[in-house]
Amino acid sequence: MIRHILKLIWNKKRSNTLLFLEIFFAFAILFAVFTIVTRYMRQYNSPLGFDTEHIWVVHMNFDNITDTAAVEDMKLRLKSELEAMPQIEGAAYNGWISPFSGSNWVTASDANGFDTETSILMAEPAYFELMGLELVQGRWFDLSDLEGRYTPAVISQQFYEESFKGRNLRDSIYELQGENRIVGVFKNYKYQGDFTKEENATFFMRHPKDIDLPNLHLRIAPGTPAAFEETVNKTVASISRMSDFTIEHLETTRKVQNREVWVPVVSLLGIAIFLVINVAMGLFGVLWYSISKRRAEVGLRQALGASRGAVMGQFMGEILAVSVAALLLGAVFAVQLPLMEVFGIAPLNYYIAMGLSAGLILTLVLLCTLYPALQAARIQPALALHEE
Amino acid sequence: MIHLQDITKVYQTKSIETTALNRINLQVEAGEFLSIMGPSGCGKSTLLNIMGLIDEPTAGHIALNGQQITAYNSRSMARFRNEQLGFIFQSFHLIGELSVLDNVELPLIYRKVSSKDRRKMAEAALEQVGLKNRMRHFPGQLSGGQKQRVAIARAIVGQPKVILADEPTGNLDSVMGNEIMNILLHLNQEQKATIVMVTHDETMARKTHRLVRLFDGSQVL
Repeated sequence: MIRHILKLIWNKKRSNTLLFLEIFFAFAILFAVFTIVTRYMRQYNSPLGFDTEHIWVVHMNFDNITDTAAVEDMKLRLKSELEAMPQIEGAAYNGWISPFSGSNWVTASDANGFDTETSILMAEPAYFELMGLELVQGRWFDLSDLEGRYTPAVISQQFYEESFKGRNLRDSIYELQGENRIVGVFKNYKYQGDFTKEENATFFMRHPKDIDLPNLHLRIAPGTPAAFEETVNKTVASISRMSDFTIEHLETTRKVQNREVWVPVVSLLGIAIFLVINVAMGLFGVLWYSISKRRAEVGLRQALGASRGAVMGQFMGEILAVSVAALLLGAVFAVQLPLMEVFGIAPLNYYIAMGLSAGLILTLVLLCTLYPALQAARIQPALALHEE
Repeated sequence: MIHLQDITKVYQTKSIETTALNRINLQVEAGEFLSIMGPSGCGKSTLLNIMGLIDEPTAGHIALNGQQITAYNSRSMARFRNEQLGFIFQSFHLIGELSVLDNVELPLIYRKVSSKDRRKMAEAALEQVGLKNRMRHFPGQLSGGQKQRVAIARAIVGQPKVILADEPTGNLDSVMGNEIMNILLHLNQEQKATIVMVTHDETMARKTHRLVRLFDGSQVL
């Protein structure tokens, strides 16, 4: 039967071309959409690595300061006064590159005898606990490390796996940003946002008073009213004597940033659904037409001994075979993308997208074929043969 | 072999009731060549279709080889048609997208015969109708007579006990019609095939063993 179906399809290749192309292009478009969506969704589902809820960030600007010592004193006083408030559970400074700021600073080096590439981040010791980062190896740095000769650093697990796995971290000095001692490894820190991929990251230690750390992160006690921002504002203004600082609610920024991705992703999915509906309608139409043109053939086959199941199987088999052929051709083109590792998208995203697209199209084809094929099986042979 | 008892077929629409067959009683014996004649619309083809289990009577009983057909479900009837009956139609009903060989193989596809055996059996059937040299051709490349010979090959390829022919010469000129009739006579005489043929042609009908005449759905002879 399979051979018979394949022969029929081959002999009717002209009329099957339209269906073949429809499936092929549907696959191509769905594959593109699903690749983008899969990539974003997989990135979204990977852990952010730090807390955003109840975290406020006071952004200060020390670009034009003349009296560094005064700013350093002010920073320590500000932190201590804010920490003393019952609504604030903790405070810690980090560097210019704070979460969701859109900035990054990447350095690559082979000075250690192997390649390293990492984002450079700076923070005071209290930052990690305040932000809820997870330590997987070693320890966080602390203020006593400042007495050592080498600047302490903690690196992300991905960076560790990529460049340091199997190497001695405890007793070695590595060239990252100057000479550094790596004291710990943390799990995740997707500081660019939920929809971005995890990047190699390294935190270098700075003293909280350091002007390289202009962003003060505050962990606000749950249940604190929004009006408390005014108190923070007044405190920062009075202590820093600055007017150009801003207070950011990290959770709000995260949501706003995510919305910028959700909107195009949902739009793309909308286009994909529209396409799927069109393909379904097209398939349905093609099958109805095909069956109405082949009523006499159905009648003949039934007269020659085809059961209703065989008639259904024949129609579904023909459409499935054309669909599978179109999907295989599509897959041949699609598989080139992960093989060539283009567009910086992880190969697994392409393979998932291929599977999803092919699965969806095959399901659609089966659903759209089922009813017309059932109708074909119900054709009265005597009537169909008489019509011709 | 085929026993029809009080077969009635009524086509019913909202406003009109048309009796196509009215209490037909007919017995076809094994090895018999029976022809059914009558004017257009008298119910000849309907009767043949009921005999071939591709149409259902409104009333009456059909027995084939002593077995009542009412006991058959749709799948059993399909198997019965496939194994016991061969059909020949006035308009040939060949599938244009399949080669002559593939058209002849068609009944065997529903019988789980290996492709090698299918091919052998189809070639033998085509040889019987003198068309083995055309087996790679497509129906569109054949004359009317050749098409009907392919249809005959398709009808006999599964070695059915009964061949049902609905005006097999109706679309052919007299020369080709005679050619087809000779093949059918040969199948009946040499292979003892039971044949029931609907025809308009008195000359053809007279060549068969028995003639049944229908008029307005009733048997008159």
